[in-house]
Amino acid sequence: MGIGPMISTLRRNLTGPLLVALQIAVTLAIVINSLFIILQRIEKMNRNPGIDVENVIVIDVRGFGADLIVTDNITNDMDLIKSIPGVIASTVSNAVPLSGSGSGTVLRTIADETIDPVNTGRYIWSEEGLDALGVELSRGRNFFPEEVNYILPDSSVAAPPSVLITQDLADQLFGDEDALGKTVYWGNMEASTVVGIIGRMHGSWVNWSNLSNVVVQPGKPAYTNNRYIVRVEPGMRDELIPIIEQKLGDSNLRRVVNNVRPLEQMAANSYRQDRSMAIVLLIVITLLIGLTALVIVGLSSFHVTQRTKQIGTRRALGATRTDIIREFMLENWLITTAGAVAGAILTVVIAYWLEVSFALPRLDWRLLPAGIGILWVLSSLAVIEPARRAASVPPAVATRSI
Amino acid sequence: MFRYNIKLALKSMRRNPIMTGLMVAAIAVGIGVSITTLTVYYLMSSNPIPEKSDVLFAVTMDSWDPLRPFDSDFPERGPHQVTFSDAERLMALRAGKHQTAMFESSLVIEPVAAEGLPFEAGARVAFADFFPMFEVPFIYGSGWDSRADAAAEPVVVLTKKLNERLFGGEDSVGKRITMQDTQFQVVGVIDTWEPTPRFYDPINGGFQDVNDMFIPFALTRTLELNSAGSDWGWKSEDITSFEQHLNISESVWIQYFVELESPKDRGDYVAHLDAYVEAQKKFGRFQRPMNNNIYSVTEWMEYHDVVANDTKVLVGLSFLFLTVCLLSTIALLLTKFVGRKGETSLRRALGASRRAIFKQQIVEVAVIGLSGGLCGLFLAWLGLQGIQVLYDAPAGLVSLDWVMTLTAISIAIVSSMVAGLYPAWRVCQIPPATQLKTQ
Repeated sequence: MGIGPMISTLRRNLTGPLLVALQIAVTLAIVINSLFIILQRIEKMNRNPGIDVENVIVIDVRGFGADLIVTDNITNDMDLIKSIPGVIASTVSNAVPLSGSGSGTVLRTIADETIDPVNTGRYIWSEEGLDALGVELSRGRNFFPEEVNYILPDSSVAAPPSVLITQDLADQLFGDEDALGKTVYWGNMEASTVVGIIGRMHGSWVNWSNLSNVVVQPGKPAYTNNRYIVRVEPGMRDELIPIIEQKLGDSNLRRVVNNVRPLEQMAANSYRQDRSMAIVLLIVITLLIGLTALVIVGLSSFHVTQRTKQIGTRRALGATRTDIIREFMLENWLITTAGAVAGAILTVVIAYWLEVSFALPRLDWRLLPAGIGILWVLSSLAVIEPARRAASVPPAVATRSI
Repeated sequence: MFRYNIKLALKSMRRNPIMTGLMVAAIAVGIGVSITTLTVYYLMSSNPIPEKSDVLFAVTMDSWDPLRPFDSDFPERGPHQVTFSDAERLMALRAGKHQTAMFESSLVIEPVAAEGLPFEAGARVAFADFFPMFEVPFIYGSGWDSRADAAAEPVVVLTKKLNERLFGGEDSVGKRITMQDTQFQVVGVIDTWEPTPRFYDPINGGFQDVNDMFIPFALTRTLELNSAGSDWGWKSEDITSFEQHLNISESVWIQYFVELESPKDRGDYVAHLDAYVEAQKKFGRFQRPMNNNIYSVTEWMEYHDVVANDTKVLVGLSFLFLTVCLLSTIALLLTKFVGRKGETSLRRALGASRRAIFKQQIVEVAVIGLSGGLCGLFLAWLGLQGIQVLYDAPAGLVSLDWVMTLTAISIAIVSSMVAGLYPAWRVCQIPPATQLKTQ
């Protein structure tokens, strides 16, 4: 049987097929747009932070009382932490990368207020900071211990002579020029020299467009709340967390140990929104595809039952089983393709809406042919079983009255 | 007659269990998904203080960098917080009915009993007006009075949760706790108060728990309290003491809310701000063009995009999903009804009017819609539990209230009726008896 008679069959009862095609169209539009968002989020979560996230522990402490000397506390705590076997390096830091909380600043290459500055995350840590995060210096040198001093709250610090910057920040500041050895100017126009370049490191705010812009200055921030960053031997993190908590707690009763937790957990928290969105969308499209497939199977089965007599007649008149299967498949293919064409248009409309209203990135057009391909396969699979049943209708049915 | 309709509907549903199951499932999944996302949207966008949202205003004044705006994406906006010194001076003028400057801090609470351990607790540092203007409910005692504000008295209002931790939930008014080497007297304990969104501080998070306690703003000076919230600066300053940090710093870290007698007073209040800024300009401050604004609670929520874009996208997509479910239902119903031509024809031939047939179909559709709606409600409840776990939302934040339950049921019934209209109409077109002839 050719395609002509089939179209005439479809046209005779247009509403049903039209509804199915429409359903396929909307399904395609939702699935492709959701899939695009899911892929975006996965890509975002899989960015390399340049940090040994799995082996870093973050500690949050706060001393109190009239006799509090924060710098002494920090010195003692660092000594204590380093004495624990399994600890590789530790530092006190003003902020923790990937944590969602941090400090930002602006830098310029020329001391001129009217020039728009480059925004960057800003860290203050000791000569052990790089090692404590597992961050690698691609060129230049680390801080010298004599460059690292305590920084007290509300004390105006002179600009540090040396800073480290990430390659991404260097590129934004200096373009193609080599940043190593160059001078950068802070907001107050004081100058620092770039002594080292960090190949790659993420800052505090994972949703910030300047996430990989980081400047580090030497120092040990002795604020009210102190954050320690500790890196341990691979595999020892979970075992060391309670030990560190216990030892810090016992060593000083005039101090609260708020949190001892893996950096991995803080990073996962920062990406929670993205992960959740991806999971919710994944559930939605799974349900959607399942539903659409079931409905196609259900309708096809129903049609087979409806057309038992017609199929029997055709079989009696010489149509082979293959003819019947092909007829059902072809009919389904026509409906699916009509749906896919309408769906492609709807997909683009929705993608445009998402892009304009919610500043989402533009849809990757390659998903469209991929989606249509998968749709063809799925809808064919959905109709195979009903088609087989149709083909198994014996020719003799035609002669029987129902 | 209606009971007969229902009986027939159930009988017809049972005759074709797969089709019926599919229809119910389609509606259930559609309702489940769309009600889940709609509930999240509804909670995020709800008005946390409806009776006062038009008289409570967040205050902003443009004290930012003369060279560039606070937010380059929204250059018309001034900074969303104010400096400490401006907050103090504005408070002294008391131009509104109620007003409070405030910020988030944290303090170490020393153990009440000998064997307890010290711990850090979050504090909202505010003025006495905070409690009446935001209608904070109390279990014990009350907020402090303006005398305590003026004298920087160490008094504290505890949340129910902190009171439970410190005093086992008993009436602790008059008791003392030690923080920063200072004896604080408990003056009140508030009842559970979870404005959602947390409208008075969307800057530090619209969906966080209320801070553990409240203490007078004037203590900032005497106890040198630091902000635990967001702090924005534009000017490089030579700050060498805490006092300078409060008195001369241009960094903005104080939130300022005012309650006006009526929404009509808005213009007057902005004029008052303009006059204040005009006076400050004489000292060389506020060099940007005059740009002072106040935002009502709902405007403030929109300003801070309290409803996440993700939520809006999900609502949009899930209603498209519902469309797919309805299209499925129509297709299934059509197939089913049309497949019953014989029976309908027979009933028509035996004297059933078109109306009766139509009514019968609609009753059947309503039964399917109701079943789908109920299953969908269960799915939505399940979905919300999932959302709660995924987003680590505070317990009880994401829940189905009666508004959403009724919405879900109405959407289910209305949409399945709409879906059923066309198939039912088609069935009515079947002429009596003609169908009987062939078989």
